[in-house]
Amino acid sequence: MSFEETDQGTYVVLTPEGKFNLVSAPLFTARVDDLVAADKARLVVDLHAVDFIDSSGLGALIGGLKKARGNDGDLRVAAAGSQVLAVLKLTNLDRILSPYPTVEEARHDW
Amino acid sequence: MTGDAAPGYELEGFAVPDQLDAVHTLLAQAVEEHPSLDPMDVMLFETAIIEIANNVVEYGRPAGEVRWKFTIRVREDEIEAELDDTGQVFTPAQGKAMPGEDAEGGRGLPIAEALLDQIEFRRVDDTNHWHMVRRLGQTPPG
Repeated sequence: MSFEETDQGTYVVLTPEGKFNLVSAPLFTARVDDLVAADKARLVVDLHAVDFIDSSGLGALIGGLKKARGNDGDLRVAAAGSQVLAVLKLTNLDRILSPYPTVEEARHDW
Repeated sequence: MTGDAAPGYELEGFAVPDQLDAVHTLLAQAVEEHPSLDPMDVMLFETAIIEIANNVVEYGRPAGEVRWKFTIRVREDEIEAELDDTGQVFTPAQGKAMPGEDAEGGRGLPIAEALLDQIEFRRVDDTNHWHMVRRLGQTPPG
C-alpha cells in the first residue's frame, strides 16, 4: 500500500490506497506515530481508494485514534467504501470512528 | 458439503504476507466465473477468509516456512473455502466476543465467525484444516 499525505496546516490528510491489511498497517502506524510526534495530531484518513480492510487495518486506525486523542488531536475517517463501512459496523468501531462522507465534513471544525 | 462436483479453485504456496493477494485473486477468479454471486456475499466472505488467512500468516510456525492450500468452491446456495496449512499444532480461540472499541487487536476470528455460517477447525495428522462456509442470499450483518 502506498499513501499520499497532504498537510493542510491545521490538519493532515492521509490517503491510503489498495488493501489496508497486515502488510500495510504497520507502515500507516509508523507514519501516524511520526506525525503525532511532530505535533500533527489532527488527522483525516481519506479511505476512498481503499478497496479492502482487515482487522490489522482496523487496529492501525484505532491505534492512530488513541495516539491522536492522547495528543489533543483526533483521527477521523472519510469516504469509506462499502467493505470498510460494513467492517466498521460489524466490529462496532463506527461508534468511535464515525465515518464521514467526505474529507471536508471530517475536518469541519479544524 | 464437500467432495461434490462443484469445481474447486485452488491455490498452493507459502503462507507469507505477499501471498494474501493471491487469496484475493483466487476468489476473484471464482467470482468471475460465477457472475450471479451477490457482491455483498462475496465481500463478506472475502473479509472472513482473509482473516483466517492472516491468522495462518501471522501465527503459523516456523514463520515463512508454512505451506498452505486454499480451495474455494461455489455452489448454488453457498460459497466454501478450505484451508490446509502445515503450521504447528494450533488451537484457535473460537467463540470469543468482539473486543472492546479501543482494542487494537483480537478482532480477526470474531469477524470471521460473524460473517460465516460455518467455521470449523481441526488438526489432521500434521495439518491444520479450516472449513469455512457462507450461505448465499442472506441479509447482511447489522
